[in-house]
Amino acid sequence: MTILSKLLAVSLVLGIAGCTNATGGFGSGSDGSSNLDAGLVSDQTSPAYFQKAIGDRVLFPVDQATLTDEARTILVAQADWMSLNTDYKAIIEGHADEQGTREYNIGLGARRADAVREFLISRGVAGNRLQVVSYGKERPLEICSEESCYSKNRRSVTVLASNLTG
Amino acid sequence: MQTGTKISGFAHVGLIGWMVFGGVFSAHPDPFEAREVSVISAQDFDAFLAAQQPPATAAQPAALPVPEIPLDTPDVQTETDVEPDQVQPSETSQPETDAAPNAVPTLPTPDPDITDATPVLQPPEPEISEINPTETPNPAVRPVDRVAPTPVAPAPPDVRPDDVTNPEVSPDKGAETPQDVQEATAPEEANDRIVTEADETSTLAPSRSVRPPARPAAPPVATPTPDSQSEPDTSVNASINDALSEAMETAETPRAAPAGPPLSQGEKDALRVSVSRCWNVGSLSTEALGTTVVVAVSMTPDGKPETSTIRMLSSSGGSDGAAQQAFSAARRAVIRCGASGFDLPTEKYDHWRDIEMTFNPERMRIK
Amino acid sequence: MMKVLVGILAGLVLMSAQAMAQSGPLRIEITEGVIEPLPFAVPDFVPDGASASEISAQLSRLVASDLSGTGLFREVPASAYISKVTDFSAPVQYADWKAINAQALITGSVKVSGSRLTVQFRIYDVFSGDELGTGLQFVGAPDGWRRMAHKVADVVYSRITGEGSYFDSRVVFVSETGPKNDRHKRLAIMDYDGANVQYLTDSAAIVLAPRFSPTGDRVLYTSYETGFPRIYVLDVGKVERRVLEEQDGTMSFAPRFAPDGRTVVYSLYKGGTTDIYTLDINNGKSKRLTNATSIDTAPSYSPDGKQIVFESDRSGTQQLYIMSASGGEARRISFGQGRYGTPVWSPRGDLIAFTKQSKGRFHIGVMRVDGSEERLLTASFLDEGPTWAPNGRVIMFTRETQGAKGRASLYSVDITGRNLRPVRTPEGASDPAWSPLQK
Repeated sequence: MTILSKLLAVSLVLGIAGCTNATGGFGSGSDGSSNLDAGLVSDQTSPAYFQKAIGDRVLFPVDQATLTDEARTILVAQADWMSLNTDYKAIIEGHADEQGTREYNIGLGARRADAVREFLISRGVAGNRLQVVSYGKERPLEICSEESCYSKNRRSVTVLASNLTG
Repeated sequence: MQTGTKISGFAHVGLIGWMVFGGVFSAHPDPFEAREVSVISAQDFDAFLAAQQPPATAAQPAALPVPEIPLDTPDVQTETDVEPDQVQPSETSQPETDAAPNAVPTLPTPDPDITDATPVLQPPEPEISEINPTETPNPAVRPVDRVAPTPVAPAPPDVRPDDVTNPEVSPDKGAETPQDVQEATAPEEANDRIVTEADETSTLAPSRSVRPPARPAAPPVATPTPDSQSEPDTSVNASINDALSEAMETAETPRAAPAGPPLSQGEKDALRVSVSRCWNVGSLSTEALGTTVVVAVSMTPDGKPETSTIRMLSSSGGSDGAAQQAFSAARRAVIRCGASGFDLPTEKYDHWRDIEMTFNPERMRIK
Repeated sequence: MMKVLVGILAGLVLMSAQAMAQSGPLRIEITEGVIEPLPFAVPDFVPDGASASEISAQLSRLVASDLSGTGLFREVPASAYISKVTDFSAPVQYADWKAINAQALITGSVKVSGSRLTVQFRIYDVFSGDELGTGLQFVGAPDGWRRMAHKVADVVYSRITGEGSYFDSRVVFVSETGPKNDRHKRLAIMDYDGANVQYLTDSAAIVLAPRFSPTGDRVLYTSYETGFPRIYVLDVGKVERRVLEEQDGTMSFAPRFAPDGRTVVYSLYKGGTTDIYTLDINNGKSKRLTNATSIDTAPSYSPDGKQIVFESDRSGTQQLYIMSASGGEARRISFGQGRYGTPVWSPRGDLIAFTKQSKGRFHIGVMRVDGSEERLLTASFLDEGPTWAPNGRVIMFTRETQGAKGRASLYSVDITGRNLRPVRTPEGASDPAWSPLQK
């Protein structure tokens, strides 16, 4: 690897880190999650790679917890990664857009997270490595009150944590 | 009786509340909770009042010592009683008779002084407040604080809201006799039903059609319904009565013994409308809004209710307490709108000397 | 001439007939009335001594503002007064108050001696010329004048309307700061009118939907302190809390006390579904009440504790259901267009308040327990989470504004849909819960 490409990679990671902080992506919201070293995106075993190259989130239609084809593609890759990198477990966060009552949205977020968990298990990830949490509408990524934002907020995020830390 | 019960209830609940939860707040003395509120006994309070009483009050009918002792002023008769102060933490130094703020000693009632002279009207500021801070894009129905049988458009700004529409009367300059100045008044702006925000802001097809704001309701002229409407012309009575009243008029019979045909439907309607206009059910409890009361009143020949004769004959649909509230509202309606006399035909006085009014709030409940 | 004669003759006969006929009074039925605030006057309570005058003025204004704030009453301004009240024990000049259409009159006196504040007051029904009930006296510490004013207003409200009041009550809520995507929430408690705000938690973790115990001494709420939503119970006096339900792999939320104060009903997510459970907070025993793949949440007890109303999407969309407090068959009560959530049983037992989503808008509404007489009280971009005043006459709820700068605040509305008004809070606010009337 040339120095230049290393620099590029570093800056890329920094950029991602900044970005994820702002949007609450990696380890988003889960106040108790471990401070994982995200590593380099170019490193296929790093959480950064999982987050960005594979994609740590899938989106859902309005008031639904069914997985779209696009979501399934991402989740297949997530499951494969987790099967290879057994040092990691994951907390699956379910989220909803603001168009719903608070309690229902927690239920809906839970349903979304559970759909992802079930899919990952069906692809061979051990159930005891996967926890779910629902944030309902409490942690939106986007803040406008339009469908363009809502569609990004109706999501589940697979947040990696080190298996070793407990 | 009712008050006594309430008092007793309050005091008991306060006492129990203190016993059960008094200690709960104690460990955390936050400033706004810590207060002592106490009950003093009726005797103490009388003594207190007496001490306050200015020495020379000859002119004043010294507070009638008719302290109707509440049925029970429990637990608070003496200083040594337990203090049901649930709010004040049961901290070490509890001062004397601190109790829940449900003190209910009876105060002697000062003598009411009712004068008949009605002073010149001092107009209250018209106050049609719109408290609704939110978007109101659809002005079809404006949120008005008042609901009346018929919608009333906003009155001109310099017109005082009143129950009846009156023209403005200015003193006539050349007049010999002093004239009362009468302000122009108009019925206060009103909708014919409660308009909720959900109604107002509905931008889609309204589920109910909305009546446009109407012009101020015409003054309720006792519509001189032709006799034919209520009584067939052929009626012998009618012609005889006509003749009779004519005879009486020509004979200048004093109206001590007026007689005449029964009130026409129009005349009854006018009376009903007049009372409706003052029958305010806005502050009634839900239960009172489900209670129908029948109220009797005797009238003076000039169409004014004799206040002391207003009484409740019967009630249905609610508890005694609810009936009492409903009756109060009905009584206020009769007194307020009858203050200047209902528009009733003098010659038919015998027919309306005694009136029984049934106030049925059924339709007001679902406005 | 002939006619007159006949007339007189006939008249003589008739008069006796009429004398009999007139024995019956005129009968009319009145079914239409007006709904408007009842005008009242609260002349400043007479201060006893100069030191009392400031408190007296403040206290009187607060009594007036409590009453006016209900929308059921309207204050006649002091500028309209004909007579002044300078002596609390002097007779009332009813005619003077009648003339300005003050239908209720509240007079009082305020005395400060040392650390004691004494308030006496009387209420008059001006048009009947009677005192409403008997005079009362409250004694307390001078810095407690706000509560004393609320107490006075409570008595006035009850005596005039004949039903319970709600001024001496508190509201627990979630205080919010920060933008939508970085919102900080903490529990707070305040007087019903927004005064005396006190914070009960910090904003380190998300907190949601606090609910008072039936006696107002404890608060249930949901917190993400552990990273997962869990139910906590907090002692308001001691500001001490403990977690109620802690099972790995589960989430618990939407708690509410039963009227017995020891049972808690709540939603538990476990094994992929969200169902309703009860928990005995003394012995920690829990019981499952619903068992479905639907989202069953937002349970609320009937005041007699025998039934529970909750929301479920078992039909495909969020709707309201009622079941026995021990579980079993649930009966759907909402059938209108749209989605229904967050049902709350009225303390009087007759109505259920709810949030409705329909055609892109949110409403707070009420319906009877059988689902009939649905009535929407509000409409906005986002209204939710109604809570009842202790007398079941007023509803407070959360309203969130639209867009990137959207902010949550509290509003209240009468159950008739009148008198919609904001409740002032120092920061953004959501999830209000009204306490019972303080004792």
